Amino acid sequence: MSVQAMIDEWYPVGIAAQLDAAGRNTMLMGEPIVVAKDANGQAKVTGGNGRLLPVKMRYGHVWTSLGEPKKDLFPIPEADQPGRRFVDVGVVRVRCSPLRAVENFLDVAHFPFVHTDILGAEPHTEVQNYKVEIREDVDEVWATQVKFYQPQAAKSASGGITTEYMYRVAAPTCTVLYKTCPPRPSEWDVITLFVQPLTEELCDVWPWMALFDDETSMTDLIHFQQTIFLQDRSILENQIPRLLPLDPGMEIPTRADLTSIAYRRWLKRHNYTYGAQLVAQ
Amino acid sequence: MKLYDYILSPSCYKVRLMAALTGVKLDLRPVDFHPGLEHRSPELLALNPAGSIPILEEGDLILTESSAILVYLAAQAAPEWLAGTKPEEAARVQQWLSFSGRLTANLGGARLHEMLLRPGDIGALQAQGIAALRELEAGLVEQNLRGERFLAADRPTVADIACFPYVALAPDGGVSLDPYPAIRLWSRALRSLDGFIEMPGIHRLHELKAEPTVEESKA
Amino acid sequence: MHTLTTGPWTPVALSADLPVGTVIPARIPAGSIALWRSESGRLSASADRCPHRGMSLSHGFVRGENLSCIYHGWSYARSGQCIRIPAHPGLEPPETIRAKTFTVEEVGGVIWVATDEATTAPPAFEGLAPLRSMTTTAGIAAIEAAAGAKASAEGLVVPVGDTLCLLVSTRDDGQTLIHVLVTGAASAEARIGASRAAESLRRAAEAVQKENAA
Repeated sequence: MSVQAMIDEWYPVGIAAQLDAAGRNTMLMGEPIVVAKDANGQAKVTGGNGRLLPVKMRYGHVWTSLGEPKKDLFPIPEADQPGRRFVDVGVVRVRCSPLRAVENFLDVAHFPFVHTDILGAEPHTEVQNYKVEIREDVDEVWATQVKFYQPQAAKSASGGITTEYMYRVAAPTCTVLYKTCPPRPSEWDVITLFVQPLTEELCDVWPWMALFDDETSMTDLIHFQQTIFLQDRSILENQIPRLLPLDPGMEIPTRADLTSIAYRRWLKRHNYTYGAQLVAQ
Repeated sequence: MKLYDYILSPSCYKVRLMAALTGVKLDLRPVDFHPGLEHRSPELLALNPAGSIPILEEGDLILTESSAILVYLAAQAAPEWLAGTKPEEAARVQQWLSFSGRLTANLGGARLHEMLLRPGDIGALQAQGIAALRELEAGLVEQNLRGERFLAADRPTVADIACFPYVALAPDGGVSLDPYPAIRLWSRALRSLDGFIEMPGIHRLHELKAEPTVEESKA
Repeated sequence: MHTLTTGPWTPVALSADLPVGTVIPARIPAGSIALWRSESGRLSASADRCPHRGMSLSHGFVRGENLSCIYHGWSYARSGQCIRIPAHPGLEPPETIRAKTFTVEEVGGVIWVATDEATTAPPAFEGLAPLRSMTTTAGIAAIEAAAGAKASAEGLVVPVGDTLCLLVSTRDDGQTLIHVLVTGAASAEARIGASRAAESLRRAAEAVQKENAA
């Protein structure tokens, strides 16, 4: 493993709206940190040796870094679009590699078996061909034209539809999903998975959404996404090994896994290996 | 009948499951337990000063303990889910209803700690959870030897529904269910009941459905 | 350290705890396995890891004569060969996709799995019927101390003054798996008594274990 390549990245460490003066003890890549609100009402993140860490407030969350971020936090233009509702789904801890949590989010083939009758259902199990690329200009992994039949694609969906997805890996532990928006066919719903790596085998996951949906209550929107993520959690905690294997001999992908293949290749290329297993054991 | 409900709460799930199994229609009122802590809001504390969910409201009646709600649903819609007239059966139902409160504290506490970062002594909660699972396993072994498949009788009762969710979700709190074959068979029997519904963390028994014929698309 | 002469065989579970059409987790010295019984009653044991994404196969499901992974529904035959990938219905899975399998035998209500080539049959215990399985944090020496009796070469402990036998095996996770056996003729009341006696023995053995560790 290597902390170094990933240390200059931004990571989510709390919900902006839930900051308090007392502070919250948590961890980032093995280092104990405290996330608090200072006397001026600003977010303050303190590292293990008492040093102040850089802070950003964006997408409903507090972001920090143990190193010196060379780039700004990745953009999500939809976060500034009028008419969208922004949903802080709340933290869920998972005993798995932060990279495994991201990879699972990029996968549609598990929908019929893990999110049965919501995001998928037998016999509609086929994953049709889609496009995957590493976009060199922004240095992100993108999967487009991902189509899947879904019995209840969103809280706002009534009945089954074929949903189209775009997936984007914007940072080693942050991924953004663009999904057919039932009330507004010309727009995409935005659903993100922001993952805070506590250790290589333990992570706090902060899902966040920017949706067009004026009908559904905020609580229903939160509960829909919590339902989906908690269905994934029992899978993520039972994969062996807990680390994400980058050794190609360790796991067998198929055509449906092209996004995962690109993600693993991108991680390897950048030496983003905190939470990865390089050589099969 | 209005249920103040949280989708990830095993205690709320008991009520949803009981209602599904007995054909009772519930009007669900979602409570933002996490991350919003709405169960401690003035509106909910007015209904239940203890600050817990589920809460069942019907006219003037407000019930705040899941075991009481199970009994209320069963008495209205499906009395066969209550204890029969045999003294030991009636006692066993009470025994396991009381026991289910311990599961909420230990396995439920471990789950909240490991999953939603709630405070608690995780080592102690898990150790108490394991002790409770051993008790349940021994109880089920004895029931099987008496020729009865469920906790209080050879049919499921409110006692089974009261105990099932926290047990089935024990792994969420880092407590393995692997060492308990009788619990596994009991859990499977409950999950196979007509009308059974899941909650997140309890997967569908896909084997109850025949393998579908899937045609490859021509796309 | 106890050397049991069950050869390559490990007693992993009781037949009654594995009905047709189900899969359960078990452990052998080589690691975790998924132990399953098909609809027609045929037993199989495979490594507890789907070669696709590493998901534990014992969380999966049995349909007909195959075991499926809960994650993506990949199905495996008794041979371990992957025979179906739901994401690609038209694809015949290549032969390279297979789960490692182990030899499994059922004798007198006990399921045994072999780690290596098995040249002998697993032991049979005449006159004894399985009652239940339990795990304990106590080691075999502590169980022997609590029972006041030594384990036989086959791993059988016959506690002094009790009407039950314990078939013990050490697992790779440090726990001990105990199969409680009683005489075949025992009544339901006697079996309930034996189950309670086994609970007491486990408590005593764990107390011994704790004392020895202190």
